[in-house]
Amino acid sequence: MAPNVLYHCPCLSTSSAPPPPHLASSSYNFHPLHALFFCEECDAVRCNRCVSVEVSGYYCPNCLFEVPSASVRAEKNRCARNCFMCPNCRNTLSVVPSDPPDAGDGRLSAPISTVGEPPFFLYCNHCRWDSSEVGITFEKPTGLAAQLQKLEDAAPDSLEFDRLKEHFEPIIRASSLSSSSSVAPSTSHSQHHSNPITAAASAALARDIPGVAKYTPHARSGRPSGKDRSANKDEMPEYKSRLDISHASNYGSGGGDVDVDFMRRLEDVSEVASLQQRWNYSWSTSIETRDLKPLRIPLHSKRSKRCPACTHILIKPEPKAQSVRYKIKLVAANYLPAINVALPHQIEMLGHISAEAAKRSTKAPVDGDKDARSGLQAGKTYPFHMSLTNPLYDPIQVRLSVQRMHVAAATSSGEGGTTEKARRPPFAISIPTTPFSVAPFAEAWEYEDDEEMFGLDDDELEARLSGREKETKSKSKTVGVLEKRANVTVVGGEVALGKEARGEVKFNMLVAYTYRSDDPAPSEGHDASPSKKAVPETKTFAFYTVVDLGNIISKEEPRIDPYDV
Amino acid sequence: MAPIRDKFTIHSKAVVCQDVELKGDITIGSGTIVHPKATIFAVAGPIVIGSGCIIEESAIIVNRRKEVMRIGDDNLFEIGCRIEAPSISFFNTFSTRSRVHHTVRIASFCVIGANCVLAPADDDALSDYTVVYGPSAERRMWTGKGKMQEADLRRKHAEYLREMLPKFNRLRRGDGA
Repeated sequence: MAPNVLYHCPCLSTSSAPPPPHLASSSYNFHPLHALFFCEECDAVRCNRCVSVEVSGYYCPNCLFEVPSASVRAEKNRCARNCFMCPNCRNTLSVVPSDPPDAGDGRLSAPISTVGEPPFFLYCNHCRWDSSEVGITFEKPTGLAAQLQKLEDAAPDSLEFDRLKEHFEPIIRASSLSSSSSVAPSTSHSQHHSNPITAAASAALARDIPGVAKYTPHARSGRPSGKDRSANKDEMPEYKSRLDISHASNYGSGGGDVDVDFMRRLEDVSEVASLQQRWNYSWSTSIETRDLKPLRIPLHSKRSKRCPACTHILIKPEPKAQSVRYKIKLVAANYLPAINVALPHQIEMLGHISAEAAKRSTKAPVDGDKDARSGLQAGKTYPFHMSLTNPLYDPIQVRLSVQRMHVAAATSSGEGGTTEKARRPPFAISIPTTPFSVAPFAEAWEYEDDEEMFGLDDDELEARLSGREKETKSKSKTVGVLEKRANVTVVGGEVALGKEARGEVKFNMLVAYTYRSDDPAPSEGHDASPSKKAVPETKTFAFYTVVDLGNIISKEEPRIDPYDV
Repeated sequence: MAPIRDKFTIHSKAVVCQDVELKGDITIGSGTIVHPKATIFAVAGPIVIGSGCIIEESAIIVNRRKEVMRIGDDNLFEIGCRIEAPSISFFNTFSTRSRVHHTVRIASFCVIGANCVLAPADDDALSDYTVVYGPSAERRMWTGKGKMQEADLRRKHAEYLREMLPKFNRLRRGDGA
């Protein structure tokens, strides 16, 4: 696996520092940069786990029709236009007319009219399934979904469900008023993410359903807590099902003796519909392939996300289904510097291997071989490059620091046998500790007068910094600032692996960056620009990342490369 | 092995482009269209192609057997397919990058889906209206509904190509012409 960097979202942990990377809980705290949001109000990173999500619109992925949320329920979350899915291969189906009546001479020579002959049917271009196989044909090529939905609604399961809803509706309505007062205290346990939106959702979840006993772990032995609830239970009339469940399989809903009988006579596996083919249905269906019906395409939704703390919107898509743009887009990639890690020896080696493979024109070397050549071997020291890309319109000063590995934590996590080895951290990281600058982001055409821009912005700071850089550069070639171009700065680090090292080279790194927020760059329709208030001072933002350099190849099992001479 | 003797018999109404690789004993019927960069390779036995077939770019048709490889009428060989089936009837479609080995005989109205590989170890035969599709080359039977419309479309396709290809390509004539 290529080395990567993940960013920390502090939503799960109570302290600001993330757990050490060798703990299992570490992986839940870190996310790739493109999956993170940034709240300007709170000045904090938000991840998909902590934001609150709202549906901002439904649409059909096939015809891109925006379905008003009122009709989503009536249409049972599926497209009510002419979009269907092949039950056999899940391709989209098209409506086609029938062939003209055969002339009878067996030759296919009749001219075809463009209008098409009436019975119309649905046809899959991929696997050539057509709906006439299951006896579904249409007189007109329009309004097919309504006809199919009628069919769906006539399914015994659907009718039964409607009946159940009808049965419970008066009871729910009657008791909704009485139980609404008991909703408020039940939300108090979720103090962590409590805000108006999530509160409403959790209240809906925690609401007592009349007639269903309230789940309280310790109420099992005691008597029901609320009087009105037990009263409801008594009041509820007995529900009589439409059909006898023991004969349900006779109505084509699958299960029971019918399936057993079918399986007994089974001659070919393809007669049984695969699970994949069946689980798209809303209701249980028969397991026979020849009973598969065309499916209306399930709707998709566009979602907007809010900050859990201040309820400001972090991301909001444009309502149009065709549009892939966002009205509001506060993604972390526009605020935090993007960090990429590379192992130069690995890149060199991979290029070498592919060149060799091309020369030899044999099969590509197996992964193990590749690992052996490009992996990290215990007891050696490797340089690595980190390139930081500044998305801001202001230059930033970045300071990197490695979070110290706690020895105690390491021993507690280590497996029983390897405690002795785990006492010492298996590797040592050295990265430049002095702050370095990353030039501001600019549109591509502005980079011609690169030097001037540097001088204008803060030359004094720049001069001081470059002096320091030279110092570090003279000390060692691998650690320090290696390259600066446009809004990217590449810094080098070094990892020294212990002789007994094994496992992954993974470390937490604190990235603190300082930017001058005096002149908010004039944003021309670019929603990426940070619209901070014009305060003539520097601001510092710090975040944690986990850097994964890959696996260590331990020395115990030396891999002899057969190709090496 | 004896050197392959080239003998091309091309119907006067067939459209075979100049930039086509032909080897061995090949007969091409009337109205058949062979796009440039197609390869027809009669290694052992001859290849006989019927009328109204369309053979697209970089399609490869190979006969490795001693007996005649017969390809019927109105077959469509799409871009990059490689077909070695010893017998092909009429109105079959071989989709893009499909592969059929010399062990499979193909009847009529069959469809080999894009990128499907048919390579059984033993001799096999596809019956009429077989559709091969998907990544694991599943098979199913087509009802045959809409085949008239498809045939009509195939004809129009061939007709259009017969008109357009000669405008932009040099044509190859048979040995007799």
